[in-house]
Amino acid sequence: MIGRFGGGIAAVAASEMLARAARLDPMAPRAPHHAPKAKAVISIFCYGGVSHIDTFDPKPLLAKRAGEALTGKGEVVVPQGTPGGLMPSPWEFKRYGQSGRWVSSLFPHVAQHVDELAFIHSLTSISNDHGPALFQMNTGSIQAGFPSMGTWLTYGLGSESENLPGFVVFTDHRGGPIGGAPNWGNGFMPAAYQGTQFRSTGDPIVDLLPPKDLPPERQRRWLDLLQKLNQEHAERNPADTELSARIAAYELAYRMQSHAVDAVDIERESEATKKLYGVGEEPTHYFGRQALMARRLVERGVRFVQIYSGGGNFQESWDAHWDLKANHEMHCGETDKPMAGLLTDLKARGMLDSTLVIWHGEFGRMPISQRMDGRDHNPYGFTVWLAGGGVKGGVAVGTTDEYGYRAEEDKKSINDLHATMLHLLGMDHERLTYPFNGRQMRLTDVSGELIKPILA
Amino acid sequence: MFDDKAARPIRRNRLLARYNVAAVTRCTHLLVFFSLLSAPLMGGDLEQQAYNILQKNCFGCHGAGLKTSNLDLRTREAAIAGGERGEAIVPNYPERSRAYLFAAHAQKPAMPPGGELAEAEVDILERWIRAGAVYPVAEAVKEDDAARKAALAAMEERPVTEKERAFWSFRKPVRPEVPNNGEANPIDAFLRAGWQEKQLTPSKAAERRTLIRRVYLDVLGLPPTPQQVNAFLNDASPKAWETLVDTLLASPHYGERWARHWLDLVRYADSGGFEYDRDYKQIWRYRDWVVKAFNTNTPYDRFLKLQLAGDEYEPDNAEAVVATGFLRLGPENNIKTEQTRMDELDDIVSTTSLSFVGMTLGCARCHNHKFDPIPQKDYYRIQSVFYSTRPREYPLVSADEVERYKAEMKRVDGLVKPLAQRKEALEKPYREQIFAERVARLPDYMQLAWKTPAEKRTEGQRLNARQIERTLQIEEKEILERMSAADLAEHKKLTAEVEALRKNRPEEYETAMVIGEEGREPLPSYFLHRGSPGSKGSEMKPGVLTVAAEAEPVFPAPPENATTSHRRRGFADWVASSDNPLTARVMVNRIWQHHFGDGIVATPSNFGKTGMRPSNQPLLDWLATEFVASGWDMKHMHRLMLTSKAYRMASDDIESNLKTDPRNRALWRMPRQRLEAEALRDAMFAVAGTLDLSQGGPAVLPYIDPALFQGSSKRTWNGKPEDDRTTWRRSLYVFNKRSIRYPLFESFDQPDMITSCARRNTSTTAPQALLLMNNAMVRMQAAAFAGRLRKEAGDDAAAQIKRAFELALMRPPSPSEMDHAASFLAKGGELALAEFCQTLFNTNEFAFIP
Repeated sequence: MIGRFGGGIAAVAASEMLARAARLDPMAPRAPHHAPKAKAVISIFCYGGVSHIDTFDPKPLLAKRAGEALTGKGEVVVPQGTPGGLMPSPWEFKRYGQSGRWVSSLFPHVAQHVDELAFIHSLTSISNDHGPALFQMNTGSIQAGFPSMGTWLTYGLGSESENLPGFVVFTDHRGGPIGGAPNWGNGFMPAAYQGTQFRSTGDPIVDLLPPKDLPPERQRRWLDLLQKLNQEHAERNPADTELSARIAAYELAYRMQSHAVDAVDIERESEATKKLYGVGEEPTHYFGRQALMARRLVERGVRFVQIYSGGGNFQESWDAHWDLKANHEMHCGETDKPMAGLLTDLKARGMLDSTLVIWHGEFGRMPISQRMDGRDHNPYGFTVWLAGGGVKGGVAVGTTDEYGYRAEEDKKSINDLHATMLHLLGMDHERLTYPFNGRQMRLTDVSGELIKPILA
Repeated sequence: MFDDKAARPIRRNRLLARYNVAAVTRCTHLLVFFSLLSAPLMGGDLEQQAYNILQKNCFGCHGAGLKTSNLDLRTREAAIAGGERGEAIVPNYPERSRAYLFAAHAQKPAMPPGGELAEAEVDILERWIRAGAVYPVAEAVKEDDAARKAALAAMEERPVTEKERAFWSFRKPVRPEVPNNGEANPIDAFLRAGWQEKQLTPSKAAERRTLIRRVYLDVLGLPPTPQQVNAFLNDASPKAWETLVDTLLASPHYGERWARHWLDLVRYADSGGFEYDRDYKQIWRYRDWVVKAFNTNTPYDRFLKLQLAGDEYEPDNAEAVVATGFLRLGPENNIKTEQTRMDELDDIVSTTSLSFVGMTLGCARCHNHKFDPIPQKDYYRIQSVFYSTRPREYPLVSADEVERYKAEMKRVDGLVKPLAQRKEALEKPYREQIFAERVARLPDYMQLAWKTPAEKRTEGQRLNARQIERTLQIEEKEILERMSAADLAEHKKLTAEVEALRKNRPEEYETAMVIGEEGREPLPSYFLHRGSPGSKGSEMKPGVLTVAAEAEPVFPAPPENATTSHRRRGFADWVASSDNPLTARVMVNRIWQHHFGDGIVATPSNFGKTGMRPSNQPLLDWLATEFVASGWDMKHMHRLMLTSKAYRMASDDIESNLKTDPRNRALWRMPRQRLEAEALRDAMFAVAGTLDLSQGGPAVLPYIDPALFQGSSKRTWNGKPEDDRTTWRRSLYVFNKRSIRYPLFESFDQPDMITSCARRNTSTTAPQALLLMNNAMVRMQAAAFAGRLRKEAGDDAAAQIKRAFELALMRPPSPSEMDHAASFLAKGGELALAEFCQTLFNTNEFAFIP
């Protein structure tokens, strides 16, 4: 309860200063609190809620007790009601790598990388409803209106790219997640820190380029006139930094037009690289392009890239309320090879050490059946994995109970996950604050502890 | 965080020093080893000392009143049994005892919350546990309800001291003497006194062209037309400025501009947010009420009272009831639990206190306010004011019409019912057949559950059978595919009949989104310890902010025929009272902030200790007392500020002042203000000559690139397929959807409408530039502007340039600007004029209030 208010008046002043510096030049690189392990984050968000017990957290007991009631765990709460008995996983699990981590047949390519992955099997979240759970995973709060992870990072560290936004979001081609833009929103922080939505076909940013039927030099011509007029105006008001900042923003915008197009131009990649990501083949083409674009963006200094897998309605997201088999086979099929390709590619380019990859959904799924062959939402215990910058590969933290229903050992919260992410990026989650309506706000609100076993 | 950061390493060092090991909890064998060396000192009263420490610091939350985390520390057995986290005390092993580790700040959560034990006390606990954690023979633990209630009530008290009441903002403003320094307008007199004190030179008077642009954009949010500029430039009367100010304050567009500022505070939106982000089709009536309230100069006290309790003050006045739409503006969670209801109430309590009295009351939801003298109990007393409210769709038609509608609906439903039953009967055999086939395809354990007779089913089989029964869905389409031709024809006929009946249902009558209550009796509400609905404390009576009330106000009993508790009215009477030390100050400060860029208190919704102190308290207090004395007359306050000499200063910097007061806190010049998102859009449309100035009514949904909200059927934007004139209304009327923001507004820092916003960010970013460079709507307006120039200035380039500067910037071009523009147009061909117009939209001068 101390944390929300920081340490009082002195902290208020310090955070006012950061907030002010951020206002003047929002994207200027700023010093971290301590030496960072990672420079950038790629978040792969399995929207709808990926099942942990069918992917990385095997529960053989489900097959042994198929159809029996889930008992001895208190009241079983399922958001959509009508709980069934225990339902076995339709997939086989095997051990992989030196670490011998379990992976189901849904992720054959990712399985080859288990020694690079750190699993958290005991993550918990508060809400079993998509909207609040998405907000919590992205912003730490189940309410809308709070700054998202990428916002906090670009606010705290600025951006290393002079020509691109610091925080980029790719949504699924079938639609965006519930809750919409507040999932990558800046909340109460300046708009400079909001996630910029990139499209994965056509121009990457809405309104990035002038109409195709106009020769590009026309725009340069009127921008030159604009800067002449602005310059004359600025000469009459020499001390006004806001005016010069706005002049600079137009130059950056102009550069961004070519750089953003270049950043997502995967045609410049070799055939071998494209193949690695499953680009040009189904069902991996779409997600593969996004994963490859994410690497290109991180390479160019973008701080935080988030890719949503799944979107739209019903089976289009990972939200497998029925026919889990078809649902997860589709979504894993789309993402398995590109994710493995991303890890391979990052490693080959020496970028994995400085790039933190996080794979997660907004919650896991229930061990009991729903609508006979699906699984309902489960926020009480689920799996995420991290890889890359500063992460110890092959480790696993925490467990769920024998059914995969609730986190049992080393229960972790999303605040803990966020604290750990910030730590890897060189930020102390208790010191990264922003003043708002009388409070020193934090990504981790009033709690959050480092998940130390996964730190390299 | 500095002071608690500083404290923690000391604490850690102490532990490290004690054990000389790095990781206390993971090196148990080492600990045991060390503990053997340091033989515990068995002081005679160790047990009593330890008990006293626990009693003083822990029993409050882990004893009679509350058993937080399900932990009771009052007896040895209960402490060993522990709580939700596990054992609290492990006799002989302090390093495994959570109570010790938390108290020693070796593990989180550090205890007790918000404090820390003295080092000697930690030592005592350690020795006591090591010695076996024997409790002294204490009086029997009482578990009766009265003791529990008394313990709770004692914990809930947090008296407010006289010293705390002496903080500047909690003392009622006293009208100060106006400095006698030759200034006619008291504002100028107070400011001059401030400049003299700091030896600052005030800026020179601004030019008339600057002034008219400034005052139009500030008061109406619209640029003046060239005719309006010329009329003012040519008005030789000594009262020319005062006349202009009066004209603007009488304009209906004044209300639109200032309503927008208010809507930021009350986080107005046209949809509910959260998962479904449901459109609020009727909430615009509240927005229109706010516009009208500003335009008709509704006294500010009444303005507040009606929003809180219009239905209780004037139940028969529809407008007063519509005003309570204020209490419906918050985001609406589709999940309805006790927790989400508490969150909704928190949103109302926080927004009300931030907006109306400039206090961060929301900080006292889980504990007493850390900085301001606001007891947690105040929070729950004020929460109880709103606790009984519930949503209500208020008919805007006569009771007769409502009855007619209901009767007609009932009649139609009555006709539909037998038809629907016939359809169902027709489908039944097909449905049963498909059902059986589908069950046969289920896994064995599911089929077995289904086949087993109900009374013989195991628990799991019972669940699975119920799941099959309830969730095996068969779509109508599947049934129709199998139907015999005769059945199918009959089915089609019935469906058509039902649809025909439904189509003829009457249209629903008009309603407003307001609130109501169940009756005169308020629902009981409680103090929630740590803000948790699971930790209910005493029942709460309504109250106000203790520190800001000289005496506890009396909440009047509701009249006999009342349909509500009248608690909101009691609360509103305090908020809008001339005795309230905050309300008038907070509002004059907001009006000041919008006119002068920064508030006299620069944290406009935080007049507490963490807020900024007033840069000129005599001025603020004079304005506040003048506001109340004028009968809370907002236009009077505008007029005072706008007719000051201060408002008419130039915005130029003065080198010598920059050293003493670089942030212009003493207001020695007018600050330049960037146009808000809405004003920027309105200005482009106005200059292009395309702005539709019609007022009020449902919001418009302009075109948004579908790439920004593609897919999900749960969120819809029923926008136009492309920009068209029907959406070219003032930005105030653009639909505010919480999850799909209008890109221009989002980019230019329109707040997210989820929490109260008192002061907008003004960020400067490349995506803003891209939007004004490439967005189709902006280009379309530039083209319209070019068309207007051709019409009004003919084909002569110089005349076009001159007219363009007059329309967009209220001034003729300088010779060099004329040169640059002329050579641009000369070489650019047909398109150049529109490009030149877009250039003007993008200039800094266009984007700022001078």
